[in-house]
Amino acid sequence: MRRAVTRRGALRLAAGGLACPALIGAAKAAAPQRIVSLDYGLASTLLSLGLSPVAVASGEDWDKWVVEPPLPPGVADLGSSWEINFEVLTSLRPDLILTTPYNAALTPRLEAIAPTQTFGVYTAEGGDVLPKAVAATRGLAQAVGRVVEGEAFITRTEAFFDQCRARLARLAPPPLAMLSFLDARHARIYTAPGLFHNVVERIGLTNAWTPAGSFWGFETIGIERLAEIADPAARLIVLEPVPADVLPKLAESPLWQALPFARPGHLSVLPASLMFGMLNDAVRFARILTDHLEQTA
Amino acid sequence: MRDASRAAGRRQAETAAQAPDAAARAHLVPALVAGVLMALGLILAWQQAAPVLAAARPAPDAVTAMASTLFFFSTLPRMATALLAGACLALSGALFQMVLRNPLASPTTLGISAGANLALVAATLFVPGLLGFGRDLVALAGSLVAAGLVFLMGARHQFSPFSLVMSGLVVSLWCGALAAVLTLLNDRYLLGLFIWGAGSLSQQSWTIPLSLAPKLALALVLVGLLLRPLVLNELGEAGARALGLRTAELRLAAIAVAVALAAFVTSAVGVIGFIGLVAPTIARLCGARRPGAQLLWSTLIGAALLFLTDTVLMTIAGRFADFLPTGAVTAVFGSPLLLLLLPRLKTRHRVMQAPAPGKAGAAGRRLDSARLLRLLLPAALLVLLLALVIGRSPDLGLRLMPADLAGDLLSLRLPRILAAFAAGMMLAAAGTILQRLTGNEMASPEVLGISAGATLGVAAALFLIAAPGLVLQLGFSALGAFAVLAAIFLVSARSGLQPERVLLAGIALSAMADAVIGAIGAAGDPRLVFLLRWMSGSTYGVTMEGAALALIAALVLLFLTGLCRRWLDLLPLGAAAAGAIGVPLRPARLCLMALAGLLSAAATMSVGPLSFVGLMAPHLARQLGLTRAAPQLLAACLFGGMLMVAADWIGRSAVYPYEIPAGLVSALIGAPFLIVLMRRR
Repeated sequence: MRRAVTRRGALRLAAGGLACPALIGAAKAAAPQRIVSLDYGLASTLLSLGLSPVAVASGEDWDKWVVEPPLPPGVADLGSSWEINFEVLTSLRPDLILTTPYNAALTPRLEAIAPTQTFGVYTAEGGDVLPKAVAATRGLAQAVGRVVEGEAFITRTEAFFDQCRARLARLAPPPLAMLSFLDARHARIYTAPGLFHNVVERIGLTNAWTPAGSFWGFETIGIERLAEIADPAARLIVLEPVPADVLPKLAESPLWQALPFARPGHLSVLPASLMFGMLNDAVRFARILTDHLEQTA
Repeated sequence: MRDASRAAGRRQAETAAQAPDAAARAHLVPALVAGVLMALGLILAWQQAAPVLAAARPAPDAVTAMASTLFFFSTLPRMATALLAGACLALSGALFQMVLRNPLASPTTLGISAGANLALVAATLFVPGLLGFGRDLVALAGSLVAAGLVFLMGARHQFSPFSLVMSGLVVSLWCGALAAVLTLLNDRYLLGLFIWGAGSLSQQSWTIPLSLAPKLALALVLVGLLLRPLVLNELGEAGARALGLRTAELRLAAIAVAVALAAFVTSAVGVIGFIGLVAPTIARLCGARRPGAQLLWSTLIGAALLFLTDTVLMTIAGRFADFLPTGAVTAVFGSPLLLLLLPRLKTRHRVMQAPAPGKAGAAGRRLDSARLLRLLLPAALLVLLLALVIGRSPDLGLRLMPADLAGDLLSLRLPRILAAFAAGMMLAAAGTILQRLTGNEMASPEVLGISAGATLGVAAALFLIAAPGLVLQLGFSALGAFAVLAAIFLVSARSGLQPERVLLAGIALSAMADAVIGAIGAAGDPRLVFLLRWMSGSTYGVTMEGAALALIAALVLLFLTGLCRRWLDLLPLGAAAAGAIGVPLRPARLCLMALAGLLSAAATMSVGPLSFVGLMAPHLARQLGLTRAAPQLLAACLFGGMLMVAADWIGRSAVYPYEIPAGLVSALIGAPFLIVLMRRR
C-alpha cells in the first residue's frame, strides 16, 4: 500500500529535535518558523518564498503530482491530506498550520495545536482560479512575513507567463483540449474556471473545450463527447498519469479513430502537473506546454 | 431416467394441450409486456437515430460525420449492450429463482455481481497483468467465490430463501464497500468515476456487444439442454427424484450457467443492479409460470427493460447519461421491489441451534461462563492499555509512548480507543440481539440498513452544505440513521414486525442507499473522498466529547439490553414457544429492534457502516459455549470492544503515518472469519 516513514522524514525529525530548543530560545514570535502545510499548492508556494515547511500532507506523492519545486530532504510526511496524522503533527510542534477549505472539517482540531491559516483557491463561490491563487500567494506571504518575496514571486510568475505568450505568439498555435484519462471511456477535461484553463488563456492560447466545469475547473466526460470540439485543428493534451490500458484500447476503438485527435500529431502526452495547485503548478504547466508546442511546431 | 423424463414431458404436453387457452395466455401477457417495453425503448431509440439517418450522405461537414460515427460506434453498440446485458442478467436471475425456488434470488441479491466486481477492482489495482490474461476469468473467479460463500452459508439453512438472500446481500454489501474503499486508498486525484463508473453502459466500439453475444448464445443452448430436466424438477424434489432426475447435478449445472452469465456481464459493463431480480418477477407476475415460458420471457423482458431504462436515461440525462451509471439507476428503481416482494416470501423461523454436543452439562457451562468472563475482562483492559501506550515511532519501529509526548499522544489516542471500544461493544450487542431475535446467524447491524441511512445522511450534509463541520456531519448521519429505522418499522409493521421481514427491509434499504450514493457520486466531485472515507469507518474524527458520548450511550443502551435478557433467552425458542411462555411478542420485538437500531446508529457514528464486528463478536461468544443471553451478551460486548480496538490500532499503525480505517480493517478480518465460521459445524 503506502510506504511508511521515509528516511528523510526520520532525519528531519532528528534534526528538528536538535534545532527545536534553539528556536524556542531565540523566541522570535514575529515570523513563524515551523510551518506545516496540508496542501501541495501552499507548500510549494512556501518553498518559492524561501521557506521550507516542516511537514507536508501526502509528502509521499509529491514527486508524482507536484514534481517542482522538489520537496527538500527532511520534510516530514503528515499522512494523507484528508486524514493527516495528528500524532506526527503534534510531535513536530508547529507554530503555523496552512490549510484549505477542502479540509475545513479539521480546522477546529488544527487550531487546538497551532495557529491555523486557511487559504481558499478552490472554493464553492467559483471564479477564476489563477487570480485567486495570486491572492492566496499574497495572503500567505503576509502570514509568514515574506511580503517582499511574495511580490517578487508573483512578478516572476507573471513575467514568465508573458514570456511564454511571446514565444507562442510566433507559432499561431491551435486550440487545445486538456484532459486526464480516467479509463478508456472517460476523461476529466480541464476547463473554466480552472487553473489549466486560466494558464492557457494567460499565455495566449485557446481552450478548445468551451463548456464551464465545476469550481475545481474540470468536467468528467465520455470520450465520444470530444467530437463536440468543432475546430479540426484542435489538439489534445493528455496529462500523465495515463492508466496503462487506455492508449492501447483507444487504438482499437473506431470511435476514437473517427475523432480528429486520432490523426498523427494531434495528441500529446505531457508530464503530470498538479491540476488543483497554485502558481508553481501553473508555471510548470505553462513551461511544459510552451516547450512542447515549440518543439512540435 | 430418459424414459421417465419423456413420460413426464408427455404428460406435461398433454395437460398443456388440454388447456390451449391457458397455455396461450401464459405466453400472451408476457409477450405483450415485453413488446410494450421494447416498443417504448425503440421509440426513444428512434429519436436518437432519426436525425443521424436523415442526415445527408456523404456528410456535409465534420460535425455531422462525427454525429453519425458517434451513433454507429457509440450509441448503437450501447443499445446492443443494454439488450444483451439485460437478457443475460434476467436469464441468470430466472435460473437462480427457479433452481433455488426463491423469488428473491438474482445475481444482485446473491452477491454474484458484487463478487465479480470486487475481483475486477482488486485485479486492476494489484495485478493489472491478470486483466490482460482474461478479464472474464477474473470476474468468473470473483463471482464463483462469492457464490460459493453464499451457498455455503445457505446450505446450513437448507437453502431457505430468506437466509440465502440474507447471506447474498451481506456478501454483496461487503464486496461493494470493499471495492470502493480499495479504490479510495489507491489514488488521490483520479478516483471519482473509476468507482462509480461501474455499471455504465457507455460504449465506443462493438467489441463488448460482440463478445457478449456468443456467450449469451452458448448459455441459451445450455439452458435449452437443461430445460426438460428443469420442467421435471418443478414437480418437486421427491417427484423429480422418483423419475430418476439427479436434482443435485441439475441444480449445480443451472447455477453454473447463471453465475457465468452474471460474471460475463459484470466483466463487460460492471454491476447492473436488480435487473436479474425485476425481470423474472415481472415475467412471473404476467403469468409465465412454467420453466420454459419463465426463462424465455424473463430473458426477453430483461433485455427490453434494460434497453428501455438506458434509452430513457440517454433521453432525459442527455450528455450526462454517461455519468449516471445505468447500473446504479436500475438499482435505485429495482431495490424497492425487494420491499414489495417481501410479503410473498415464505419465511420460517428457525429455532436456534443447540449448543455443540459433547460439552459439559448446564451447571458446568455456567461455571465456565463465569470463569470465561473473569478472564475476558482483564484481557479487554489489557488490550485497551496496550493500544493506548504502544504506537509507531517516526523511524518505523514500535515504541512505548515517550514521556515528553505522553500528554499529547494520550489526548489523541484515548478518544479513538474509547470510541472504538464503545462502538465495538454496541455493535456486538446489536448483533447478539438481532441474531437471537431472528435465529439467523447472519443477522448483524450492517444488515439492518441503519448504517446505510447514516451514510446517506452524511452524503446529504456534504452536498447541501459546502463544508460541514464534524458536528453537522454527525447530526446528519444520525438523522439518516433514524429515517431508515423509521422506514423499516413502517414497512414491516404490517407483518407484525416479523424479524426476517425487518431485516430484509433493512437490506433492501441499504441497497437503495448504496445505489443513491453511487448515482450522486457519479459526478466525480472531490468531496466524494470524504464520503468514502466516512464509509470506510475511521475513528479519525472522534473527539474526547464524542468518545465520552459514545461510551455513555454504550453503557445506557447495554444496561437497557440487559433488562431484556429474558426475552433474548426465550425468543430463540421460536415465536410460538416464546409467546406461550408469556413473552409479549410485538412489544418485545419492537423494543429489541429499537435497541438494536439505536446501538448500531450510535456505533456507526464512530466506526462507519461496515465493520462486521456485530457479526463476529456474538459468534465468538457462542463458540466458547456461552448460550444464555446474559453471558453471551457480556462476552460478545467484550470481544466486540477488543476487536474494534485492535482493528483501530492496526489501522493506525500498519502504514503509518497514513491510516487504514478501523472499520475496513475489521471488515477485512471479518470476511475470512466468516468463511472459517461457516465451514465449521
